Amino acid sequence: MTLLHFDGDDLGHADRVVLPGLSLTLARGQQVALLGQSGAGKSTLLGAIRARLDPLAAWCPQSHGLVPLLSVYHNVYMGRLERQGALANLLNLLRPNREAWQAVESLCAELGLDGLLRRPVERLSGGQRQRVAIARALYQQREIFLGDEPLASVDPHQALRLLQRIQRQHATSVIALHQHRLALSHFDRVIGLRDGQVQLDAASRELTLADLDALYPDASTSAAATSA
Amino acid sequence: MSTAPGWLRGDSPGLTLARRSLALVILCLLLLPLADLEVTAAAPWAELWRMARGLAWPDWLALENPLHAIALTVSVALWGTFLGALLGFPLALLFPRSRTLRALCAFVRAIHELFWALLFLQVFGLSAVTALAALAIPYAGIFAKVYAEILELTPRAPSAALPAGVDRLSRFIYAELPLVWERLASYTRYRFECAMRASVLLGFVGLPTLGFYLESAFREGRFGEAGALLWIFYLMIATLHWWGHRRLLPLLLVAGLYWLGPWPQVDGALLWRFVSHDLWPASLLAGDPAGLVAWVRDMPDLLPAIGNTLLLALMGMVGSLVLALLLWPLASRHFGNRASRGLGRLTLVVARSTPELMLAFVLLLLLGPSMLPAWLALALHNGALIAFLVARHADGLTPGMSGLPASGRYAYELLPRLYPNLLALLCYRAEVILRETALLGMLGVATLGFYIDSSFEYLMFDQALFLLLITAGLNIAVDAAARRFRPREVPVDDPCSR
Repeated sequence: MTLLHFDGDDLGHADRVVLPGLSLTLARGQQVALLGQSGAGKSTLLGAIRARLDPLAAWCPQSHGLVPLLSVYHNVYMGRLERQGALANLLNLLRPNREAWQAVESLCAELGLDGLLRRPVERLSGGQRQRVAIARALYQQREIFLGDEPLASVDPHQALRLLQRIQRQHATSVIALHQHRLALSHFDRVIGLRDGQVQLDAASRELTLADLDALYPDASTSAAATSA
Repeated sequence: MSTAPGWLRGDSPGLTLARRSLALVILCLLLLPLADLEVTAAAPWAELWRMARGLAWPDWLALENPLHAIALTVSVALWGTFLGALLGFPLALLFPRSRTLRALCAFVRAIHELFWALLFLQVFGLSAVTALAALAIPYAGIFAKVYAEILELTPRAPSAALPAGVDRLSRFIYAELPLVWERLASYTRYRFECAMRASVLLGFVGLPTLGFYLESAFREGRFGEAGALLWIFYLMIATLHWWGHRRLLPLLLVAGLYWLGPWPQVDGALLWRFVSHDLWPASLLAGDPAGLVAWVRDMPDLLPAIGNTLLLALMGMVGSLVLALLLWPLASRHFGNRASRGLGRLTLVVARSTPELMLAFVLLLLLGPSMLPAWLALALHNGALIAFLVARHADGLTPGMSGLPASGRYAYELLPRLYPNLLALLCYRAEVILRETALLGMLGVATLGFYIDSSFEYLMFDQALFLLLITAGLNIAVDAAARRFRPREVPVDDPCSR
């Protein structure tokens, strides 16, 4: 079932086209891995998908988008900020809502953040912040998960656990990542971007690690340079 | 082979700024003969010696219960800042959207606290209402501008990460305000320190804060008592972070309400008469154009006053520039030893904490009435303030080459990196320096402030208002000029520069 469809669209920011003439179809029920070098256009594509799917998609941005001064609880709570009125949100800042607190607490326990609910995000490690950002996206409870390198600063073992947790809750996801093995083993489809073009778009079971390496020209040219 | 370029030739940014600053200095030197810089006092050194002795051996016993003056000084500063912030914050939210509001804020902050005090004095008398309004109104204008600038720098990422449909207030409270809270608080703290100085100055127009006792002690030559009062003030500033702690503030605010009393009976009819009648020329209210022309003709000769105001401001700018260049190494970790740095830092803090009017007043007693004491006071106060901020900036830098002699470190490693920032700070101060220039007129220097002060003295409120409007217009124009002169590449994000 088609979820969304780009048909020769130019995607980019205000005055700079990053992905010219993009054609792409996404379907419900697919786990999609998005690969490519930094600067290849992954964030632009995710941003465009997010804009189209807005009320359906939970969003985990690359820069986390966390508020350093607020506690872990409040940062996660922000995932559902639009579902409460301004007054309720204001009160929650002064005294956490009891139900929300329990929901956030059990979610954080699953992600290995137990006991940190009251701690300001500025006092967390990089990996912990990453997990808070994921917790916030999960807390949104949307149908689709969109993540811009949500597994970038966690160790491989945790990355696998987090990915499984994300995919258990979302039947459909589009996730940018760098872990090639995970892309082949845990996703249905791989989209590879290179220089603003879709270089690769195939079912992951048809692909090998070597196919994915072709997306990284620097790696292959530097290898060629050393061999020469 | 090419010949080496001549003096200050080249288009590197450093040279551009050097040429620009030099032009300012030369302009000042050319105009200097127009300024009255005569030393008229008979024996300035003897007087200076007595003052120094008073400061070194303060006469604590001469003070008659200074506690009330201290409490009032703190209460006025605290409530003035608090009310200013309370008014200024909502204005800051509207600030980027309304040109009228920006103009209004520029106007209220262009007039010095003391002139506001003179204005409110006519209606509310020597009361806390006068003192609070004199601080809160210009501060609301300042807070509106600075808060708006800080809010503009809010990082966008957290707000962009929010789901769609979040209402504006929740978005602001969760994803914007916490990100800039620290900066807002630190600027408010700095403004409180300014308010302490302003609160002392209010004593000069008769409100019984520390400045009231300071002025009479100095005027009557009781230097031991003046020294003791000054020490009290410096101690209060030095221990500000301690007694002005976040947790103590609510307590101080409540206590302040008690110290500010007794509250005056505000006579509504009198207030209305003042606003609707006294402030305007009678001929204007009567619709008499010929009378209005005569009214303008009766004005004191304003051109020399405006010229003096601008000249003194220019001299103040150049003096501050030279002093800042000379003084900043005193407090920087790159120069001297621990003892010299401690002493340098203390000197700078004392010079910047002393209210500029106070400084000018003391220098005036020493040197006699001319522009010289006003110039020295402006240069000392602002030069020390800029030097302090530059030294702090310098301490964050690491020289690339180690083992250079001090002069090489100063000229090659540090100054090229610091100078754009220093010049930008100076340009930010231009507005403040001009405001202070007008203020120094109250001491008899023939700037606009002198005529404003005497208009109030002769109860010619219509003339006073007119002169205040001119002063404000001048301030706004100079601020715009300074903004053009300012090096553009450096973001000055130290709010304490304004």
